Amino acid sequence: MLDTLVVIGTDGLIYAAWLFLIALGLSLIYGVLRVLNIAHGSFYALGAYAAASLIGLYGQRDFWPYGVYLMIPLAALAVGVVVGPLVERGILRWMYPREPVYQLLATYALFLILEDLTKLIWGVDPIYAYAPYTLLGDVSIGDITYPWYSLLLIGTAVVVGILVSVFIRRTRTGRVIVAMIEDPEMSTALGINVPRMSVLAFSMGTVLAGLGGAMTAPMIAVMPGMGAEVIVLAFAVIVLGGLGSLEGAAVGALLIGFLRAATVHLFPVLELFVIYLVMALVLILRPRGLWGRAEVRRL
Amino acid sequence: MLELQDVWVFIGAYGILRGVTLAVPTGAAVGLVGRNGAGKTTTLRSIMGLLPVRSGQVRLDGRDVVRLRPYERARLGIGYMPEDRRLIGPLTVEENILLPAWAMGLPDATKRLRWVYDLMPDVRAMADRRATWLSGGQQKMVALARALMAGRRWLLLDEPFEGLAPEMAARLATVLARVREAGLTILVAESDPRGIAALVDRVVTIERGEIVPDGSALSTGPGE
Repeated sequence: MLDTLVVIGTDGLIYAAWLFLIALGLSLIYGVLRVLNIAHGSFYALGAYAAASLIGLYGQRDFWPYGVYLMIPLAALAVGVVVGPLVERGILRWMYPREPVYQLLATYALFLILEDLTKLIWGVDPIYAYAPYTLLGDVSIGDITYPWYSLLLIGTAVVVGILVSVFIRRTRTGRVIVAMIEDPEMSTALGINVPRMSVLAFSMGTVLAGLGGAMTAPMIAVMPGMGAEVIVLAFAVIVLGGLGSLEGAAVGALLIGFLRAATVHLFPVLELFVIYLVMALVLILRPRGLWGRAEVRRL
Repeated sequence: MLELQDVWVFIGAYGILRGVTLAVPTGAAVGLVGRNGAGKTTTLRSIMGLLPVRSGQVRLDGRDVVRLRPYERARLGIGYMPEDRRLIGPLTVEENILLPAWAMGLPDATKRLRWVYDLMPDVRAMADRRATWLSGGQQKMVALARALMAGRRWLLLDEPFEGLAPEMAARLATVLARVREAGLTILVAESDPRGIAALVDRVVTIERGEIVPDGSALSTGPGE
């Protein structure tokens, strides 16, 4: 029994770390821009493809083998810096004054376009980039052997969570972003350059999605369609935790991570059912999510 | 000089401001009075750029700013204190006050903050408290402090005395009197003209989105 609990705990943490990396960016984008960005799944896929390509290119040279890990953040940054500003300035800014349904349609259209774009660039065959996964070897936890890379994923999620938290709480730009999240209209009346801050926040969210994908690339076969499955789960995480909340993304990811791990080990056929059942219950009992705050009604 | 020239503002098909013309000379304080729904808040929000002006001009020192976005207008030196305070709850009092300085990259933010604190020692005493935990009156004081940080030239105050206890209202009046000495150009909206009579040079009345032609002149001041 204890062994099962250890396995559930470890698997749950690994899954939660992966979900957190992806959901954090989605939550940040919603918090600042009030846009439910379906294309976030495509940014995740682009991060995976970019990382797989860079890891492949790095592997062809006779470089220091551990340098391959630098390809992961590099891929995430490349996706965020190139795609983020292009999408925010080129598409989303026209959608802000419109009804949420138009924003959903626009980001869904973008999602489909980017899916096809990845097929055009990388083709439809799976791409493998295992080097970072195998290089570190394995570690035993109880009777179970885990790849060190999975623990690296947990460490990365913790470090990213701390860095984003410090950025939001301790830097002036972070405090300005909090102001935009809390009251976009008053923020602009206080002199905050909302368009510039929107590009920054959206690009940060895109980097985080790209990082999620780049960290995932060494663990899977990178192939078309990978963005679709992740976006639904990422939405479930931020809805559970509370839209636009950093802590909510962490709470939601942990909850779904442990739930999934427990059902996979104890009732495998209920894996997805349990996740969405809990999400439905939370939405019924606490519509703003576990960590979300009620909207303040202005008089 | 802050001027509105034949300003029309619509919400849907309904004209909220109908040809408002108003001038606040540099260094003067003008009171804009009227009943609830008369158009006071709409006037201030239109100056700030938070509501679109369908026609007419909003001029700051002769420059028409109608096409500028709110943050661009704020950067010209307008401080806006909304009726409902609109402090950023998760931020501390000092962070709220410093927000405009951070947003605009003001080089003299520390000096300006010291000036604001000297004007309002009560606010300095609660600098580290979260805005969420302040009383309504305290929030008004902090909202004024924040407006002073942004408002180097013009100050728009929306119902600053509304809902304040007499003691707090007296303190706010003292602060505003000292702000006037700093030479700021002030437009203050209030429902009750008696509350601002001693603070302003002139009172303008607004009714149903129109300036009443014979607004009473209470006294004359430096801008007259």
